[in-house]
Amino acid sequence: MGAIVYGHFTDEPDLLKAVKELQNKGIRIADVRTPFPVHGLDKALKYRRSHLPKVAFIAGVAGAVLMFYFQYWVFTEGWPLNFGGKPYFSVLSFIPGTFEITILFAAFAMGIAFLVRSNLGPGSIPDILDENVTDDHFQIILSEKENRLSETELSEALSATGALDVKHVNGEK
Amino acid sequence: MMHVSPVREPLINGEKSYKDITNDVMAPIRAKPGKLWFVGLGISMLVMLVGFAMIGYTVWFGIGTWGVNRTIGWGWGITNFVWWVGIGHAGTFISAILLLFRQKWRTSINRAAEAMTIFAVMCAGLFPLIHMGRLPLGFFILPYPNTRELWVNFNSPLLWDVFAITAYLLVSLLFWYMGLIPDLGTIRDRMKTLWKKKVYNFLSFGWKGSARHWQRHESMSLILAGLAAPLVLSVHTIVSFDFATSVIPGWHTTIFPPYFVSGAVFSGFAMVLTLMIVTRKVLNLQEYITVGHVESMNKVIIATGSIVGIAYITELFMAWYSGVEYERYAFLNRAMGPYAWAYWIMMTCNVISPQLLWFKKLRRNLTFTFVLSIFINIGMWFERFVIVVTSLHRDYLPSSWSMYKPTWVEVAIYLGTFGLFFTLFFLFIRVFPVIALAEVKSVLRSSARKFIGKPVKNQPSEKQ
Amino acid sequence: MEKKEIPDAVPFRFEKKLKLWLAIAAGVGVIALLWAVFIEQAPASRIWANLWMNALMFLFLGLGALFFWTVNTLGESSWQINIQRIMESMGITIPFAVIFFIVAFPGMRNLFEWTHTGQLDRLLQEKTPYLNIPFWMFRLAIYFALWSFFAVYLRKISVKNDFEPHEKYLARLRSTSGWFMVIFAITSSMAAWDWLMSIDAHWFSTLYGWYIFSGMFVAAVAVIILITIAFKKFNILPNVNEEHLHDLGKYLFGFSIFWAYLWLSQYLLIWYSNIPEETVYYVERIEHFNSLFYLNLIVNFTVPFFALMTRNSKRQTTILAVVALIVLLGHYLDLWLAIMPGAVGHEAAKIGFLEIGLPFFYLAAFLAIFFISFEKAKPVPENHPYFIESSEYENI
Repeated sequence: MGAIVYGHFTDEPDLLKAVKELQNKGIRIADVRTPFPVHGLDKALKYRRSHLPKVAFIAGVAGAVLMFYFQYWVFTEGWPLNFGGKPYFSVLSFIPGTFEITILFAAFAMGIAFLVRSNLGPGSIPDILDENVTDDHFQIILSEKENRLSETELSEALSATGALDVKHVNGEK
Repeated sequence: MMHVSPVREPLINGEKSYKDITNDVMAPIRAKPGKLWFVGLGISMLVMLVGFAMIGYTVWFGIGTWGVNRTIGWGWGITNFVWWVGIGHAGTFISAILLLFRQKWRTSINRAAEAMTIFAVMCAGLFPLIHMGRLPLGFFILPYPNTRELWVNFNSPLLWDVFAITAYLLVSLLFWYMGLIPDLGTIRDRMKTLWKKKVYNFLSFGWKGSARHWQRHESMSLILAGLAAPLVLSVHTIVSFDFATSVIPGWHTTIFPPYFVSGAVFSGFAMVLTLMIVTRKVLNLQEYITVGHVESMNKVIIATGSIVGIAYITELFMAWYSGVEYERYAFLNRAMGPYAWAYWIMMTCNVISPQLLWFKKLRRNLTFTFVLSIFINIGMWFERFVIVVTSLHRDYLPSSWSMYKPTWVEVAIYLGTFGLFFTLFFLFIRVFPVIALAEVKSVLRSSARKFIGKPVKNQPSEKQ
Repeated sequence: MEKKEIPDAVPFRFEKKLKLWLAIAAGVGVIALLWAVFIEQAPASRIWANLWMNALMFLFLGLGALFFWTVNTLGESSWQINIQRIMESMGITIPFAVIFFIVAFPGMRNLFEWTHTGQLDRLLQEKTPYLNIPFWMFRLAIYFALWSFFAVYLRKISVKNDFEPHEKYLARLRSTSGWFMVIFAITSSMAAWDWLMSIDAHWFSTLYGWYIFSGMFVAAVAVIILITIAFKKFNILPNVNEEHLHDLGKYLFGFSIFWAYLWLSQYLLIWYSNIPEETVYYVERIEHFNSLFYLNLIVNFTVPFFALMTRNSKRQTTILAVVALIVLLGHYLDLWLAIMPGAVGHEAAKIGFLEIGLPFFYLAAFLAIFFISFEKAKPVPENHPYFIESSEYENI
C-alpha cells in the first residue's frame, strides 16, 4: 500500500458508525480489519456479493458430469462385466460415486478459489499494521492515494469518528 | 438487525471481553503442558504403537490372525470401522447442519468436534485398509488406468465407501482448516517467540482479518456447510449400503440409510460430550462450554436416539409383517440366540438410557451426561456388532451356522485406534485453539451473559 | 440498519367473497365426482381410490403442519413465531379429516385385498393378526383421537398465552410437543403401513413410514408457504418478510432433497438385491406407470433442487410460490403412485377429470376449516417471548 492512515475501535457499533460517517464525508475506505466478521459491514462498505458460490456450482457440475461419464465408460466401454445380472449402464449404482465427487470438486474448487482470490496461502506474508486486529481491535485503513486528501486531513477525519490510536505510515513498504 | 430474547440462556458466562476470549482459549497453547498431559499423551502413544504393531502382525501373517472365518467374514474389523465413522459424523453435523439452522451454541464446540471428526475418520479408514489383508496393494481400490485394463466395480457399495470416506475425510479437513485460518492468525499475533510466530503465520496462510476476506470466508463457510450437510448424510448412507444391499436377512432392509445416519449423529454427539465434559474442566473453558451447551447436545441425542429406537421397533414389526420366515428367525435369533447378550446391551444402552434425557434435570447434569455418553457409545458399538455378526452367523443354511470370537490381535488393534485418536486429540489441544475464537467472539454481543442482562432463573449452580 | 416501513395489519375476516370462491371450488369437486360416477362410469376401485387419496392428502397437510410447529417448539426456534398461527390452524383440520376417511370406508374392499377374508392366500393369512378390519379400525380411531387431541390442546394453550402470557403455558407447549413428537413418530409410520403400504399387501419396506412422512412434510411446507405468501400480500401478516420466506424456502429445498434421498434409498436397495417379493412393487410402476414414475422424481426433486438453489430464489414470492405449488402437485402425484397401481391397476388407473377436479372439494373444505380457525385468534402470538426475535432477524 502507499501512504496510509489507520485507527481502531473497540467494538462493532462504533466501527459501523465510523464507517458510515466516513462514507458520508465521501472518504473511500481502503480496508477494514476485524477479529471476526462484523454483521452488516460488507453491506456498509458496499462490497459486491462473493462469486465463490458460483465457483462451487460450476465445479460441482463438472465433477458430476466427469464422474458419471467415467463410470459409464468403465462399465460400457472399458471392461463391461456382468455383476449379478445388473445392466451395464446401471444408473442407480453410479449415483453414490457421482454424488461424492460432485461435493469434493465443489468444496475444493471453492476453497482454492477463496485462497487464490484473497492472496492467502502457505508462505503468504500479511501486511499487519496492528497485531490486535485479530484479537479485539476493529481497524479502519484509509489510503491517501484513493482519497485526494492529505495525511493530516485523513487523520482528522478518522479521529473525528472516534477512532483510537490514529497513526499513519508513509508509502514504500 | 438481530434481536435475542431475554429468556434465552447466555452462551458465554462470566463478564468476558474479546481479549478474555482470546486469552482463555489460547491458555492451553501458551502454557507449558502439565504432568497430566504428558501422562495422557504417553499412554495414548503407547497404546497406539501396540495397535500399529498388531496391524503389522496382521499384514505379515494374514487375516488368519483374526477370528473371522466362514461364515462370519466380517467381525470386529468392520464393526469398528462403522463405529468410528459414525462418531465422526457429529463434527460435521455441528459445523454444517447446526450452522444452517443458525444455532449459535455450536460456536464453542465446533472446532473440537470437527477435529474429532477428522481423527475418528482416520481411525475408521484404517480398518477397510487392513481388513483387505494385503495392505501394500491397497491402491487397487482406486480406479487408476493400468496395463491389465482392469477397473474397480462401481456397482459395489464397498467401492462407494472408498469414494465416500475419501471425500468425507478431505472435505472435513477442508472445512475444519478453513475455519481455523482466522484463529491461527490470532494465535500468530499473540505469539512472542519468533519461530512460533513464523510457524503460525505459515499455518494461517497470512490471514490479516480484512473485511473482504471475511466476507468471502463467510460466503464460503455457508456453501461448505450446504455441501457438507448432504455429504455427512450420504457418507453414512453409503456405509449403511454395505449392509443393506445384500440378500441375507438382517442385511437387507430399506430403513438402513436414515437409521444409520441418525445412529451416527447419536454416537457422535455422545463422543463429543465425553470429550467436552472433560476438556472444559481441564482447560478451564466452563464459561464457554456451558451447561446450556451440554443440554442442547443432549436434546440432539434424545432426538436421534429416539429415531434409532423407532427404527429398531420398525424392523422388528416388519420382520413379522413380511411373513418371511428367514427374516422372522433373524430377529428372534438376535433377541434370544447365542448373541442375545449383545442384543440386550444394545437395546438397554441405545433405546432405554437416552430416554432419561426427557428430564431436564438429567439433561443439565454433567456427571449423568458423561456416564450416559459412554453407555451410548458402548451401545452403538454393539448395534454394529449385532448387525454384522448375528446376521452372518446364522443365515439361510443351518448347516453353515457358526460362531465368532475376536482374537487378541483384533482387540489390540481396536484399542490401538483409541490410542491413535487420543494421541491426535492431545496434540490438537496443545497446538490449535480448541474453541473457534472468531465465531465465539461474533456471538458475544448477542448471547453473552453481560449483554443479555438479567440472569436466567432456575440455573443450577455452575460448580460442575 | 434502516427499518422498513411495516404496514398495519389487516384483520383477517372470512368474508362472503372468500366463502363464495370456496363454494365454487367445492362445486367443481362434486361435479368431477358425479361425472366420474355417472357419465364416465369409472370402475368403482378408481372412484374409491380417489376418495381415499384425497382424504389422506387432506390429513397430511394438517398433520405435517402440526409436526412442523411442534418440532420448532422443541428446538426453541423463534423464526416461525410469525407464521405459527398458520400452522396451528392447519392442525385444527386434523379432527375433521376423519369424516373423509369414514366417507371412503365403503370402498375398503376395493382398496385393500386383505379385506377379502374368504380368499386370502398363505401370505395374507399370516398377516391377519395385524391386517383385519376390527384392529385396523381401532388403530385408525386411536391415531385420530391422539392427533386431534394434540392439535386442539396445543392450539388452546397457544391462544391462552395471548390473553395471560405466562411461562407455564410455554412450558406446557414444550412438554406437550415432546409427547406429540414421540406419539407422532410411532403413529405416523403405523398409519402409513395401515393406509398405504397394505394396499400392496404382499409387499413391505421398513423405510415406507418415513418415506410417506417426508412427502407429507414437504407438502405441508408447500401449503404453509402458499398461505404465508397470500397473507403477506394482503397485509394480514405484515411482519412476515423475506427472511421468513427464505427460511421456508430452505425447508422446501432441503426436505425435497430429503424426500428424494428416501425415494432413492428405497428404490436403490430393492433394485440392488433384486428379491422378487420386493421388486414386484417397482416392476409394476416402471413397466406400467413409467413416465409418471420418473415425472414424480423430476417434479419433487429436480425442480425444487435447481429452482431453489440460489439465495435470491428463496426470497422472492413469485419463484417460491410457483415452486411450492409445483411441489404440492408433485406430492399429490407421489400419493397417486402409492395408491393407484395397487388399488386400481394399470388398466383402469389414469389422471382424468376425477383426479384433477375432486381435490378442489377437499381443498375448499380444508381452507374453510382453516379460515374459520384462523379468524378466531390473533394472527400472531404477540405475547410469545420469541416474537420480537421472529420479527427482527436476518439470514446471512
